[in-house]
Amino acid sequence: MVWSPTLRRSLGLLLVAAVLAGCASAPVQPWERGRLARRDMRWDPDPLKAAIDSHTYFSKEGTTGAIGAAGGGCGCN
Amino acid sequence: MKIANALAAALLAASAAAGAVEPGTAAPAFRLPTFDSAQPVALADFRGKVVFVDFWASWCSPCRQSLPLYDKLRENYPAADFAILAIGLDEDTAEAKAFLAEHPVKYTTLQNPQGDVAKAFDLKGMPSSYLIDRSGIVRARHVGFEAKDIAALKKEIDGLVANAAP
Repeated sequence: MVWSPTLRRSLGLLLVAAVLAGCASAPVQPWERGRLARRDMRWDPDPLKAAIDSHTYFSKEGTTGAIGAAGGGCGCN
Repeated sequence: MKIANALAAALLAASAAAGAVEPGTAAPAFRLPTFDSAQPVALADFRGKVVFVDFWASWCSPCRQSLPLYDKLRENYPAADFAILAIGLDEDTAEAKAFLAEHPVKYTTLQNPQGDVAKAFDLKGMPSSYLIDRSGIVRARHVGFEAKDIAALKKEIDGLVANAAP
């Protein structure tokens, strides 16, 4: 098989088109958000557990910050 | 260059086809089954009345507040003048039915699990509602819901109900 410049160019274009098509997923419409609204789709499905985890984290690390709470990093909590 | 022109024309055509339902345009026709019976109900059956079309879902938290308030609002008007059509968009109809059992309403509740009517109205958010005059023209569109919106909505309905049928 001879890889002529035209064939190579066509294949290149096809590849670019295929890669771009991968980005062309239709956005989720407002009425299609039922599954996304489920409790188990949240980052923190259980707020109480999230608060406890967060407290454990900053107590162990001896610092706060980067998780939204203010603190001096004295590790005295 | 020719290809670029053809692409631009195709893009323009696609954007023109996806026109949202704005105030002043005719409401898209629909025919949907109710939650209570298999008998379908069409928007055209209500021609001559002011119709409030509300799109809701069991997972839409403002809908917990809006459905009961719309039910109270409806009591202000005779059935000959005003109707509410609430279109449930849950993919799982059982979830919508459970929601209605928890928040019962007296107005017509329709099911559209496929969401094709929502697509025809091109909803911009949930919940969305449309106020349609006696001749089938959309007069107001609302996206989202807060309890304080009811007073303004009542004024809009009063204005449309006061106009006699054409």
